[in-house]
Amino acid sequence: MKSIRNRRDGYALLFAASILLAIWHCITFMLKEVIFFAAISCISLLLLVRQSRLLYDATLIYANRILGVPSDPISTPGRQMNKDTGETVVSTFGILMGSKIYRWGLDGVHGVRLQAAQIDTERMYLAFGDAVQTMKVELLHGMTQKQAVLDVAQKLLHETGVRADITGW
Amino acid sequence: MSGHNLFGPRRLSIVAFSFSFAYMLSFLFEGRVLYGLLEMHGVNVSAYIFAAMIAHFAGLLTCGLFVRSQSAAKSIMLSGMGVCLVATVPFFFALSSLWIIGLIVSGYFSGGAVAAWGFFLRAFTPKNDRIKSCADVLIYSNLLMIAVNVVAMNGSPFIGLSLAMLCLVIGIAFIWILPVRQENDQSKTFINKTHGGIKNPLILLCLFVFIITINSGLMYQVINPAFGHLTGLVSWYWAVPYIVALAIMRNLPMTAKRSRILYIGMAMIMGAFISFMLLGRKTSDYLIVDTLMLGACGIFDLFWWSILGDMLDYSDNPAQTFGIGLSANVFGVLCGGILGMSVTSIGLPGAEVAVIALTVVCVTLVMLPPLNRQLVLLLKSHTYLAAYDNMSQSQQKDIVRQIKTLDPLTVREQEVLQLILSGRSNREIAAALFISESTVKTHVRNIFSKYDVSSRAELISTLLKNQMV
Repeated sequence: MKSIRNRRDGYALLFAASILLAIWHCITFMLKEVIFFAAISCISLLLLVRQSRLLYDATLIYANRILGVPSDPISTPGRQMNKDTGETVVSTFGILMGSKIYRWGLDGVHGVRLQAAQIDTERMYLAFGDAVQTMKVELLHGMTQKQAVLDVAQKLLHETGVRADITGW
Repeated sequence: MSGHNLFGPRRLSIVAFSFSFAYMLSFLFEGRVLYGLLEMHGVNVSAYIFAAMIAHFAGLLTCGLFVRSQSAAKSIMLSGMGVCLVATVPFFFALSSLWIIGLIVSGYFSGGAVAAWGFFLRAFTPKNDRIKSCADVLIYSNLLMIAVNVVAMNGSPFIGLSLAMLCLVIGIAFIWILPVRQENDQSKTFINKTHGGIKNPLILLCLFVFIITINSGLMYQVINPAFGHLTGLVSWYWAVPYIVALAIMRNLPMTAKRSRILYIGMAMIMGAFISFMLLGRKTSDYLIVDTLMLGACGIFDLFWWSILGDMLDYSDNPAQTFGIGLSANVFGVLCGGILGMSVTSIGLPGAEVAVIALTVVCVTLVMLPPLNRQLVLLLKSHTYLAAYDNMSQSQQKDIVRQIKTLDPLTVREQEVLQLILSGRSNREIAAALFISESTVKTHVRNIFSKYDVSSRAELISTLLKNQMV
């Protein structure tokens, strides 16, 4: 999440600087520079808005954590396993892994929603998607106590309405 | 207190306010007294009127800060009217700075007195009859204003001023004998459980009132000067269609749909501007334009006055709610007046001025139906929530179970929904469930989506409508 915030701040700075420079060049009647910096302002504003939305989602996911796994690997079928130094958070509204976000439950009945969850002795499998496509992720949950697994499953049911399938415990 | 037996508290409060309000209408704002006095001295009328209106706006807006009980409301009404009486005296003498000071002072204190009447409207008039009390006040005060106007126009502005002050004195006498009733604990409990407050409906109503009254202000500046030559007729006929519209609205059955009446008002106001553009400036033309315009104003005014009266039940401080609602009216008239003055001062031909004014009217009126819809929904949600509070816990749970959703609610969403139905705001729900406000907002959005509604008011009315029936 820190990297998302840093990137958001960077875009905000870029936007402020480019706006100031555009105004400055406008005052001094340097048209080409004005257009150049105005274009940069527009682009940085778009990026700023996008990054701010991302940060909002990340904050929401972080604030509603169901399970937190420090430095956890996450993989998606057909893709190479990623490694991230940050904490992986499974939450009511998605998964946050470093600067990567998988969202669900943020856009009502027609948006992406958590569909199924399975927890075995090592991994947690989560399926989510909308009417068009479904995505699956698996992660090492790091839980060693059965009670902890039951607690996570209970919380998942309470928050998302999805009953986790617990196997191998 | 023989006055109590003769009138009853409700009628007493109506009479007291009508006389006081008649002074404001005939002297400060709409009447010919102040215009006559200022024109006698050849000074700029608009500056004086706008100063009084700004002061009145401030008085309405700030009254709620000082008045928190019915006894304080009575004191403010008495002292405010007393100050107005003193501040009016300089107008019998030569033009001086005391005139503008007097106008500002009386504008401010009369604003406070009007807002304070909110306490008496709530205490003495049952909810369903508030439209009648509001109509009575507006009818009586306008009739008195016509009488003062006719005297001021045909006699002397000084006689008109004396009559306006007489109205004020009679108003003060009736306020003096107004009983002060302690609000019982039950009604206080109800008022305090106002389901997240009335902030949103009040903001919406203010916007609604502002838009309606912009047109009134515009009308004063655009239409009135065009019929300036019909002084005699204008002095008495000006407010007659307004009074007739109020009387019709007052006696409509409770089942009559308010939104339909609103559309009639909109059609009338547009008809008035179109007639103004197409017709000449003869007496018959004035009768048509004024009847349409002031009739619409009567409809609109009673429409929002009655909504404001209904809102008093959900308010902790009726003076504040009433004052804020009425200040939106004054602000609208002020903005409309400034707009009208700007349009007329450019020096465009009359037809072009009318076209510009009509464009403003059309644009503003288009916004009324959606605003009205939202307002009705919000007020309905308050009514439903009041009924919900009186249900048992099992009944409350049944309501949520009975209504089908597009997708089942999660346990967390059910918790949030129960709190929405108990009238909590997002912040209060967040505090109750120990989650962040943005989390609550996200759950609320998801609940809306599952019930296929677009607002909290719509959600509440959807859930509780069947139960109420």
